[in-house]
Amino acid sequence: MFAHLRSLAARLRGQAARCRRLLIPVFAGVLLLAAGLGAFLILRAGGDSALDAIMRNGVLRVAMDPSFPPFENLDAQGKPAGFDVDLSHAIAARLGVRCEIVPMWFDQIIDAVAAGQVDGAVSALNVVDARTKEVSFSTPYVEAGLVLAVPPGSPIRGAADLADRRVAAEWGSGGDAEARTLQKGLDGRLTLVLRESGDAALGAVVAGQADAVIIDAVSLALYHGGDLAPVGPLLRSDPYVVVVSARSPRLLKAVNEALAGLQADGAIARLRARWLR
Amino acid sequence: MPPQSQTFTRKLSHLLTVPALLLALLLALLAPALSNRVWVEFGPQQHVLTLNPKLGVHTRLTDEVEPWKVQRSFEMVRELGAPWVVEYFLWAGMEPRPGVYDWSHADLVVDHAVNQGLTVIARLGYVPDWARPKNSIHLYLDENGYDEFASFAAAFAEHFRGRVKYLIVWNEPNLSQEWGFRPADPAGYTELLKRTYTAVKRVTPEIQILGGALAPTLAPPGSEWGMDDLVYLQRMYDAGARGYFDLLAVHAYGWTFSPDEPAAADSVNFRRVELVRQVMEKNGDAAKHIMITEGGWNDHPRWTKAVRPSQRVAYTIRAYDIALHDWPYVDALCIWAFRYPAPAGNYQDYYTFVDGNFQPKPIYLAVQRYAHGDPWEGQ
Repeated sequence: MFAHLRSLAARLRGQAARCRRLLIPVFAGVLLLAAGLGAFLILRAGGDSALDAIMRNGVLRVAMDPSFPPFENLDAQGKPAGFDVDLSHAIAARLGVRCEIVPMWFDQIIDAVAAGQVDGAVSALNVVDARTKEVSFSTPYVEAGLVLAVPPGSPIRGAADLADRRVAAEWGSGGDAEARTLQKGLDGRLTLVLRESGDAALGAVVAGQADAVIIDAVSLALYHGGDLAPVGPLLRSDPYVVVVSARSPRLLKAVNEALAGLQADGAIARLRARWLR
Repeated sequence: MPPQSQTFTRKLSHLLTVPALLLALLLALLAPALSNRVWVEFGPQQHVLTLNPKLGVHTRLTDEVEPWKVQRSFEMVRELGAPWVVEYFLWAGMEPRPGVYDWSHADLVVDHAVNQGLTVIARLGYVPDWARPKNSIHLYLDENGYDEFASFAAAFAEHFRGRVKYLIVWNEPNLSQEWGFRPADPAGYTELLKRTYTAVKRVTPEIQILGGALAPTLAPPGSEWGMDDLVYLQRMYDAGARGYFDLLAVHAYGWTFSPDEPAAADSVNFRRVELVRQVMEKNGDAAKHIMITEGGWNDHPRWTKAVRPSQRVAYTIRAYDIALHDWPYVDALCIWAFRYPAPAGNYQDYYTFVDGNFQPKPIYLAVQRYAHGDPWEGQ
C-alpha cells in the first residue's frame, strides 16, 4: 500500500510540475493579450481626436457647396447664406465654438470629410450607403423625400385613394417614377399628368388638371402658386444629414446631441419657417 | 481481362453513358431556372443607327451588378443613336491584390457594350488600398504607385485587346481632390502619363491613350482646391507630355450658358473647348484630336448652375451639332450622364438621360429623335 501511495504521490508531483510549466506560457499569453487590448483602446481613443481639436482651436470647419438655395447660396455680398449655413453656425454655438464655412464643389465634399480636410459637411446631403466606411451620417434635420400633395377639400387621404385619379409629376423625376410604380400597382387605374418642371406639376393640380401631385417635400414647401398640402405617409424618405468622418464617433455624438437640442428648443422649426416657406 | 469481362465492361459503360448524358442535358436546361439571376443572352451583334457619328454618353455602371441592367443600359444607348460610350473602370476592383486580376465585372460591361455596337472609351482610376498610404482617399496616387498603375493599365489593355481601343489616364488631375487632396501637379501627372503610355504601348501599340481629362475651372493661382485647366495643360506640355498621349480628353460643361456663348479665359462654358484647342496648337499638337469625355447641362429647379429642362434639351442637341459640324478635331462628344444605378437624391440626378427604372427622360427622347433625323419637341 505504501508503494502504491508513493507511486501515486510521484504521479501527482509530475502532474504538478507539468502544470507549473504550462502556467508560465498561459500567464504570459494573458498578459500579452491584456497589453494588446489596452494599446488598441488607447490608440482608438487617440484616433478620435477631431472633437478635441475643434474644442482646442475653437472652430468647426464645415464644407458646403453654396449653389443650392435655400439651403446654401451666396448672398449679394458673396457670403454664404441659407438654411445649412444657419444650421452650421447653430451647431457650432452648441459646441461652444465658432463656425467656418469652407465652400467647395459638391463632388469634393464627402472625400474632403473622409480625408480630414474639414470637420464636417452640411450641404443638403443625403445618406450614401456606399460611403459608410469613410464617413458617418447624423440624425436627419430636414426631410426632402417624396410626398403626395392635394388641394384643400380633396377626398384623397393617401396613395390608397389614387385609383381612377389624375396624378401630376415632373417628367423624369423621382415623383414620376413613384407615380408609375403606383400606377402599376393599381393595374393602370391612375392617369399620369406629366409636366416639364416641378412647379408646372404643382400648377396642374391648382388649375384642376390633376387631382394630386407627387413631388419632393422641399419643392412643395417652396411653392407659392396655390394651397397644396401633403397627405398620408411619406412615399419615399430622403433626409438631409450632417456628415463627419467615420473616425470621429465622438464628434458625431456631439453633432447629434446638438441637433437634438436644436429640435427641442424650436431652433430648427424657426429655420424651416425662415428658409422653407 | 478475359473477353467476357471486356464485353461486360463495354456494355456497362454504354449503359451508364446514356443516363449521364441525359442528366447533364437536363441540368443544363434547368440551370437558368434554378438560378435566382435573370438569364441574359447577348443576342446577335448590333449596330448603331445615327446621323451623328460623334454622339456619345458617359454611362456609370461601376455599381451596376445585374447583367440585365448592364445590357439594358447599352441597348438604350444604342437606341438613342450614340455610338460612343465612356465608362469608368476601377483599378481597385480589378486588381484587389498586386498582380491578381478580377476582370469579371469589366468583361460583363465591355462585352455588352461591344455587342450593342458601341465603342468604349475606358477611364481608369480608383487606387486600391495596397497602392496608397493608410487613411488616404481612393484618388491618392503618388510616384511610389505610378509603375503599379502603369502595369495595371497595360494588363487592362492586353486583356481587352480588340474590345477596348481607347484608355483615359486618370480624371481631372487639376483638382486637388482628384489628386488625393494634394496640390495640383502637372509635372507629376505627366510622369504618370509617360509611364502608363510606355507600359501600355509596349503590349498593345494599337490602343489610343487619352491624357488630360481636366476639369474646366477658374481656380486662381495658388488655390488649394485646384489649377485652371488651361494653365495646367500648358504645364503638362512644358513637362514633356506631348509625346505621351494620342488624343486629349476634354470636359465641357455649359453651366447656365448656351453652347453658342463665346469662349473666354475667365468663363467656364461649352466653347472653352476652343481655348483648350488653342493651347494644343500653340504647342505643336494641331494634328492631335480631342474627345469630349464629360460635359453637358443640368436642369435641377434650384441648383444655381442649372438651366430649364427645355433649355437643357436645346443646348445638348446644339452641342452635338457643334461637335459634328464646327469642330473637325473633335471625334466624340460624350455627355454626362446616361443613368445612375440608384438615384443620388440631389441635384446630380438632373444630369441623367434615363432614370433608375430605365424610364427615358424628355432629353433622351429629344436626342433620339435628333439622332434619327426626326423633329424633336421644342425644336
